Amino acid sequence: MSYAPSAAAVKKIDGIIAPYPEKSAALLPVLRVVQDELGCVPPEAETWVAAKLGIQPIRIREVLSFYTMFRRRPAGKTIIQVCRNLSCTLAGAEDIIGFLKERLHVGPDGTTPDGRITLVTVECLGHCDHSPCLQIDGIDHGPVTRDGVAALLEELRAHE
Amino acid sequence: MSEVKMVGLTIDGRTVRAAEGTNVLQAAEQAGISIPHFCYHPAFEAEGNCRLCLVEIEGLPKLDSACSTVVREGMIVRTSTAPVLEARKDVLEFLLAEHPLDCPICDKAGECKLQDYYDRHGLFPGWFLEAKEKRQKKISIGKGLLLDRERCILCTRCVRYLRKVTGTGELGVFERGVRAEVGTYDDAPIDNNYSGNLVDICPVGAITDTDFRFKTRAWFLEKRPTVCPRCSRGCAVIVESVSGYPLEEGERRVFRIRAGENPAVNGYWICDFGRAGRRDIDEGRQERVIKSASPESELSWQKALADVMARIRSVPGPERAAKVAVILNSRMTREELTLAKRLFAEGLSLDKIFFADPKPGAADGFLLTEERVPNARGVLQAGFSPRLPDLDALAASVEVLLVFGSHLLDHFSEEAVSRALAKIPSKFLFSAHTGPLDRLAEIVFPLAVSAEKSGTYINIDGLRQSFGRAAEPAPGVVSEHEILGCLAAGLGLNVGEHDVR
Repeated sequence: MSYAPSAAAVKKIDGIIAPYPEKSAALLPVLRVVQDELGCVPPEAETWVAAKLGIQPIRIREVLSFYTMFRRRPAGKTIIQVCRNLSCTLAGAEDIIGFLKERLHVGPDGTTPDGRITLVTVECLGHCDHSPCLQIDGIDHGPVTRDGVAALLEELRAHE
Repeated sequence: MSEVKMVGLTIDGRTVRAAEGTNVLQAAEQAGISIPHFCYHPAFEAEGNCRLCLVEIEGLPKLDSACSTVVREGMIVRTSTAPVLEARKDVLEFLLAEHPLDCPICDKAGECKLQDYYDRHGLFPGWFLEAKEKRQKKISIGKGLLLDRERCILCTRCVRYLRKVTGTGELGVFERGVRAEVGTYDDAPIDNNYSGNLVDICPVGAITDTDFRFKTRAWFLEKRPTVCPRCSRGCAVIVESVSGYPLEEGERRVFRIRAGENPAVNGYWICDFGRAGRRDIDEGRQERVIKSASPESELSWQKALADVMARIRSVPGPERAAKVAVILNSRMTREELTLAKRLFAEGLSLDKIFFADPKPGAADGFLLTEERVPNARGVLQAGFSPRLPDLDALAASVEVLLVFGSHLLDHFSEEAVSRALAKIPSKFLFSAHTGPLDRLAEIVFPLAVSAEKSGTYINIDGLRQSFGRAAEPAPGVVSEHEILGCLAAGLGLNVGEHDVR
């Protein structure tokens, strides 16, 4: 399996790399472009990015597995990221995660059978002043309660 | 050479001078003050991830890692104040919170830095009630190496070694926080000729070698330095053996060979080929003198050597040049080669002095050289011009043949050697290992291997390296030095045994 991004993505990636004297320094933004296009960064994309930046694929894997913002496997249409770092956990994140698991019938990093929603637990979303917080497709919500989360899920369904 | 600028600082009240650019940990070590550390290794840039080398530096609000702090003029460092000792304890406690404490079944026990540091700087009671994380304990990562993720303290020495030294980068750290773990990429195994060093540099028992795993305990091993004989680089190695030889059938005497330190030659590393040399010391050895006429009889080498002398004496002096031949090799020490030169070339005036060495292999661009003998320069310095014998010529004229080593077969087929030797009335083999040549010789003498001898090798760059005996010789074996000295004495030749260097 080989992978090559679209011509537009390659152009974008080249633009990102250009100002860096050390190509590998552009790793994070390059991975974002790939993930925006594919929804995740699969192994064949690791190989492509590694060749592009002149580093070994294992370096890409290290970075992908370190950051919760990157996905190595495809996600559902909507991604719900729930913070489980310190502030949010103190403010009741575990309860929110439990509630979501119950409602969606998925575990962390699981996708609903209809492929609509992926639930992910993440480290700090930088939203501690609104803990417990979560992010739905990049939009922050918080502080959230069970009722608030139920309303957000309703809203998602309504947008179908 | 440009002058190295020296910097003056104070460590624990002692005035210390260190070269500019040295880190505090090194400077302290040079002054005889050891600061405990896991992740720091002098061959790599400081990473500062293990936090164990925290020290107090005057003027800084917090403790700082000694490995990643460069010395400055007038710096005042304290390495054993109450806050430092407390911090060490805390760091060890963090590391041990997730450590399996399976020391009783861990190969590293007895030479484990975590164990040693807990003993010296920890000694706190455990008070964690939480269960420890379960992780994989036996992951094959290639070349007989096993990774135990529970024991790993994530110092990343292995990862950095494979990136900085071998440049192969097979290992990485995946995930983060409590889930962080060392691993290979999609099970692509470690595959380079320097993998054994990973076991040496792992400060805990996370990377172990199946060749050593569960075989013995570190505290039973006697560690002695020598020079690796497997190529012409002459790397420093440590031979680790158990004393109390002879052992039970099948037991090992030498359990492993590890890298020694020699900045002039190999730094901190040795190749896997050299490391595997432990097998040469214990396996396939000639165990006793065997006379083909009476293979069962016990015979001392001195007695058997009398036969060799008698055969040489039976050839009249003027005819010896044509009728007596010897085949030497470049594994002999410089001292042995000098003796051989005086005995065979000068004393007996032999013309037919040949060399049979292992065939060259491929150099790997780092330490391993093409030449697979340790002392080819020594052969030249002793005044020999090494050349292979012509088997037909040998067979046509020679009456007495002395063969040292078994590498004739690297150059000629067994059949060809067998045919040639059949025409030579007396032939004697001096060899450390059993082989097909044994049955062709009238008497086979069991030789000592290089680890069982002392001597000098001259490496590929012309560096003379003397070494002492690194392992007690197997019973009954004899060195070339003893053989040559005894032959000279028996033949009434003065070879000046005491100034062979």
